[in-house]
Amino acid sequence: MIRQIIVTFFIIFIFLALVFGLLNLQVFHGTNYRQLSEKNCIRLFPQKGSRGKIIDRDGNIIVANRLSYDVLILPQDAKQRETSLVKLGQLLEVDYKDLKKAYREGLVSVSVPVTVVRNINYKKAIALEELKFELPGVMIQPNPVRHYIYGGLACHILGYLNEIDRWRLTKLEDYGYKTKDIVGFGGVEEKYDYYLRQEEGGLSVEVDHRGRQVRLLGFRPPLNGKDVELTIDLKVQQIVENKLGKRKGSVVLMDAFTGEIIAMASSPGFNPEVFIEKQNSAISDLFKDKDSPLINRAISSAYPPGSIFKAIVALAALEERKINSSTTYICQGKVLVGKKEFACWSTHGPQDLNLAIAHSCNTYFYKTGLLLGGDEIYDYAYKFGLGKSTGFDLSYEVSGLLPSPLWKRLNKFQKWFDGDTANFSIGQGDLLATPLQMTRMMAVFANDGFLVTPHIIRSIAGKDPASSVRRNYRLNIKSGNLNIVKQGLRSVVNFSSGTGNVLSGLGVEVSGKTGTAQSPPGLAHAWFVGYFPYNGSKVVMCVFLEHGGPGYYSCVVAKEIIGEIIKYTKEGRFNET
Amino acid sequence: MKHNLFIIIVALLIASIGIISIYSSTYQKEGKLWQEIYKRQILWVILGFVCFLLVSNMDYRRLWDWTYFLYAACLFLLFLVFVLGVIRLGAQRWLKFAWFNFQPSEFAKICMAIFLARYFSKKSVHDISLLSYKFGIFRGIILPFIIVVIPVGLIIEQPDLGSGLMIVFLFMAMLYLTNVKLRYIIIFLVIALLPLPFMWHFLRDYQKERLLVFLNPNIDPLGAGYTVIQSKIAIGSGMFFGKGWLSGTQGQLHFLPESHTDFIFSAFAEEWGFFGCVVLLLLYYLLVQRGLSIAKRTNDDFGKLLAYGVSLMLGIQVFINVAMNMGLAPVVGVPLPLMSYGGSSVLVTFISLGILTSIERKRAVF
Repeated sequence: MIRQIIVTFFIIFIFLALVFGLLNLQVFHGTNYRQLSEKNCIRLFPQKGSRGKIIDRDGNIIVANRLSYDVLILPQDAKQRETSLVKLGQLLEVDYKDLKKAYREGLVSVSVPVTVVRNINYKKAIALEELKFELPGVMIQPNPVRHYIYGGLACHILGYLNEIDRWRLTKLEDYGYKTKDIVGFGGVEEKYDYYLRQEEGGLSVEVDHRGRQVRLLGFRPPLNGKDVELTIDLKVQQIVENKLGKRKGSVVLMDAFTGEIIAMASSPGFNPEVFIEKQNSAISDLFKDKDSPLINRAISSAYPPGSIFKAIVALAALEERKINSSTTYICQGKVLVGKKEFACWSTHGPQDLNLAIAHSCNTYFYKTGLLLGGDEIYDYAYKFGLGKSTGFDLSYEVSGLLPSPLWKRLNKFQKWFDGDTANFSIGQGDLLATPLQMTRMMAVFANDGFLVTPHIIRSIAGKDPASSVRRNYRLNIKSGNLNIVKQGLRSVVNFSSGTGNVLSGLGVEVSGKTGTAQSPPGLAHAWFVGYFPYNGSKVVMCVFLEHGGPGYYSCVVAKEIIGEIIKYTKEGRFNET
Repeated sequence: MKHNLFIIIVALLIASIGIISIYSSTYQKEGKLWQEIYKRQILWVILGFVCFLLVSNMDYRRLWDWTYFLYAACLFLLFLVFVLGVIRLGAQRWLKFAWFNFQPSEFAKICMAIFLARYFSKKSVHDISLLSYKFGIFRGIILPFIIVVIPVGLIIEQPDLGSGLMIVFLFMAMLYLTNVKLRYIIIFLVIALLPLPFMWHFLRDYQKERLLVFLNPNIDPLGAGYTVIQSKIAIGSGMFFGKGWLSGTQGQLHFLPESHTDFIFSAFAEEWGFFGCVVLLLLYYLLVQRGLSIAKRTNDDFGKLLAYGVSLMLGIQVFINVAMNMGLAPVVGVPLPLMSYGGSSVLVTFISLGILTSIERKRAVF
């Protein structure tokens, strides 16, 4: 009898054991197993959108997207994998071992395709597609990739794309950026990445045990990035870059009234495509190059402006009534300031302001500068936007260096001497400015007294994001004084003895100032900053050649550029006014 | 009659649950055969019901007289399997009859229950006391073991380890329930377990694999361990209330193999959750408990032992199958009685229940 009772309890016990087992599996670990079951049968197929295009002011596409083709292998369908890989290798001219390695490293699961070759061209993709039946399990997947239609054109404005780095990731994580994301580096690609970037969409699909699709669970369409329209004129940009050629330096063309950048070139440049195609040796060459081709010289490095600065000194002296238009100094080739001799580049004889600007006479400006004093020059230079960022759209703009007696005391622990004032008044010494700052400065003369905010973004998806914050500052300058300096700037080109005389006879009225900024070691920097009428408005142009020699060389480049632009506007769509 | 009604209602309830689970796990499969499978199961249940009625109205004492005939028939059929058997899933377990396949190992289970019940309830001709009190180690254990081991050996050779082990379990249970001395049983157990490590060499490769996988399913997640892993995922993912009928992804999308036969419990658990499983186990428990209470109340020793044997076998089969589904027991081919697809199992289970009912009905006579 006891055995029968034990058997009864035994049955109760085993059933309770089952219930506890189920409790453990379904209630305590249920969520875990539910996730596993979903992982079993739900597959995500991402679909990429395309990054926003970058277009110029007339709607010409500068940067677009093309389709690149990746070769994938679906392990579960690839029956004779070895022979398929060998055939693939022959077709694509890739080593079979590399394919095998890529396959082995990429293998996750039998139902997840493995990318073995990236970025094959259209012809090969077509060829592979035709051989589909001989190569079971091989798939071609089109992928939108960035296409820089004009190669290295405007590369510094555009920037390039690369995999996100740690620094950017920590900064951008909160905006939904993830590791391995492709983001912009430098230029518009970086600054407006948030607008340009596409949003990945995808399908979630329920599959059976063989990975075959059973039904569609969800679909989120990929979102394309927003298009960015630039103020750049593609044709002008091309002209500028052609004429600048291989010379080190930078050219900026800006609308004098609105601050729109019409062209901005920096040389040497680079081809953003190398980052897309992952040409590692070319990329490391770019980083190692001593001429730093990745630097946008127009905004990211500052140079002594040299004689260009004299325009500010002249205006300051007129405004402060230290001189007037008929004030004359005699240039004897040198001036004694304190105990030190300051040289002029030539012996000009008697010079009034007009001649002094035209001849870029140092003597005249030493004397004028000494009348003004370092603080006054500083104040005016600051008013003209030197020593601070211009508020330009792109990142990595430097503010240059605008010295002052106070600055010298604070940073160099030295007194400001008259010699400093003398150097300052011809744009030498500690003074540093970017080509863009000098362009902006010259625009004040071109547009009769407004400090504009240079910008390169015209609209993003049809809207100008900064129109409400961007404004032109009116500088309180008497128009009489302004006209006197403008007269001088005109004489630079008009007078046969003017330093910019090469620019005469182009058919348009060019005004400007040349500069030969001493910057040892090496040759001087060659500057030309001026303005001329263009397309019903006025364009300020800055030609800067790093260690390019005397300012004359810049004038020659400027002449070629202006000549081409005139030709283009005559034959092109615009009518010159 | 009241008791008959209870048993048959519970059995039909379980069978209905089985049919809807079979329907759910096969309706998405391609091919007419798969679509029809639940209809075949309905047919088997109806046939089983008819068998139940026939057997329950029969006097179970007749089985006493038929014992040797049944045993011989059982051996004959098992031999026949070797000669004519249909090979399916790598095993030769089935005999092809006119339009269905019959599995003699299922039949052997009930035959052995009858045989052992008769063997241990023989009475002395002198004082009508039970002979089993006087059994020594030879008549108590060795002789019945030899009788049992012949069909068991044949079944394991098919190979059908599950059914073979079921009969060994039955034998142990019957031994325990009769008056054979406990120390004999212990000696027997020790002798039986000692050579177990050597038995390893006689196991088939797939059986070794299954045992290893039972110890650690992750050694071969896409091969032998696959079934156990998928089955656990199926049960676990049901959570408390399940995914709902026809909504189980594991069973429907074929991640779970054999989801209409041995692993029907997983398919059921996925769709009905913990709640459904507890209800199902309760139904099984009620069935087994009813069998045990019939056994307890029966005064006829043959009937008592037979009832115990039949209900214990039912309970142990349920336990092994469900434990195997949960990964708590190695994967051996034990169907879930009344639920798994398969005619032989359904018929034999209904016949066993019929015997139980018959014992209950005739109880009053003794």
